[in-house]
Amino acid sequence: MNYQWDFSAIVKYADMLLLGLAGTVKIAVVSIVLGVIVGALVALARMSANPWLRRPATAFVEFYRNTPPIVHFFWFFYALPIVIGVSLDPFVAAVLALSTQSGAFYAEVFRGGIVSIERGQWEGARALGMNYRMAMRRVIVPQALRRMVAPFVERSFELTKTTALASTLAYAELLYEAMQVNSITFRPMEVYSAVALLYFITLFAASSAMRLVEARLTRVS
Amino acid sequence: MDYTWDFAVVVGNLPVLLRGVVVTLELWALAFPLGLALGLFVGLGRVSAKPWLNGPAIAFVEVFRNTPVLVQLIWFYYAFPIILGQQLGPFSAALLGLTLNTAAYCAEIFRGGIQSIVRGQWEGARALGMTYAMTLRRVVLPQVGKHMLPAFTNRGIELAKVTSLASILTVHELMYQGRLLSSTYYRPLEILTVVALVYFVLIYPGSYLSARLERKLRLRD
Repeated sequence: MNYQWDFSAIVKYADMLLLGLAGTVKIAVVSIVLGVIVGALVALARMSANPWLRRPATAFVEFYRNTPPIVHFFWFFYALPIVIGVSLDPFVAAVLALSTQSGAFYAEVFRGGIVSIERGQWEGARALGMNYRMAMRRVIVPQALRRMVAPFVERSFELTKTTALASTLAYAELLYEAMQVNSITFRPMEVYSAVALLYFITLFAASSAMRLVEARLTRVS
Repeated sequence: MDYTWDFAVVVGNLPVLLRGVVVTLELWALAFPLGLALGLFVGLGRVSAKPWLNGPAIAFVEVFRNTPVLVQLIWFYYAFPIILGQQLGPFSAALLGLTLNTAAYCAEIFRGGIQSIVRGQWEGARALGMTYAMTLRRVVLPQVGKHMLPAFTNRGIELAKVTSLASILTVHELMYQGRLLSSTYYRPLEILTVVALVYFVLIYPGSYLSARLERKLRLRD
């Protein structure tokens, strides 16, 4: 334990790490937005009465829930280009992997929220003469949204942590930049500890902020 | 889409993939029980009134939950040996990272379970002359064990997926073997697809049983 800490390397290359942090935030935000869209479509398909929609949607969700994210990253980067005949850059491949994967999880969040609404609400809406779409929009979804907030936030955090895998495709996010700084400075202890701290501060700050938002959104008005 | 699939390379190298499956199973079978056991102790620290137990337990849990697993594994492989003064093999580093990560999540499950028991039960056990450990073993854990089970099986599934990250530390588990084959034979589409399917076959039974168990427990309540 007589190790001489030397954080000057971190200070010197701080701009690289901050650039990486910006890359992490960028890929997380893009993937969350796309993931929500994918998730909403998949959730609708999963709740459909038509088995031609429901079964593929169920298979999609089960596949993503039962395979590791790193396999998706490599598949989209190395395997998909062979099928489509166009090579993808790391950012696009990582966003595809993240948004389809989180789409599968978001779909379960959305479906879980809607399924949790009691039958009586549907029957009441029907009795008032509302059709399926109206009941969904005016009665079910507004109530379900409140129940979706907590699991949605949790999934978004998981997604943000998963963005670190984009470093394996050489996309310049925080972990990748840290690897670059490490290969220049040969200071793994300082570099990787600093990066862990940066992730911690970012995620902890975000989760504290989200807890406030969550408390406000889920408050029974 | 005029690509001709060729699974001969996968069939010919099945033993290579199977060796990877064995290492994946080893990682899981060691990290899961170790993580559970350590998680119980951290969870007890989390509910302790003593600040010198409670403080470190909170810090431990928050650090592991608010940083990406990949960063933790890289830290244990590249940075930790510097304080340790001794090189860690990839397998040991991965095992250490995965165990501590699992322990942090399991600690929260234990904490939730233990806190759900009303105080009167602790007091009753004390009145009967039971020690802390006896109360825990005979009164508290038997009551909450059932309710914590689904959360633990979920952790087991998460761990199974996360073992794939050990490939980044060059642990020769399934994902690593798959990447090795795909770069040797230039057949990423077939090989990565098969790797994804193998993971699915390994993990799906677990999540299927876990979902069934959860439903059964909910019906019984």
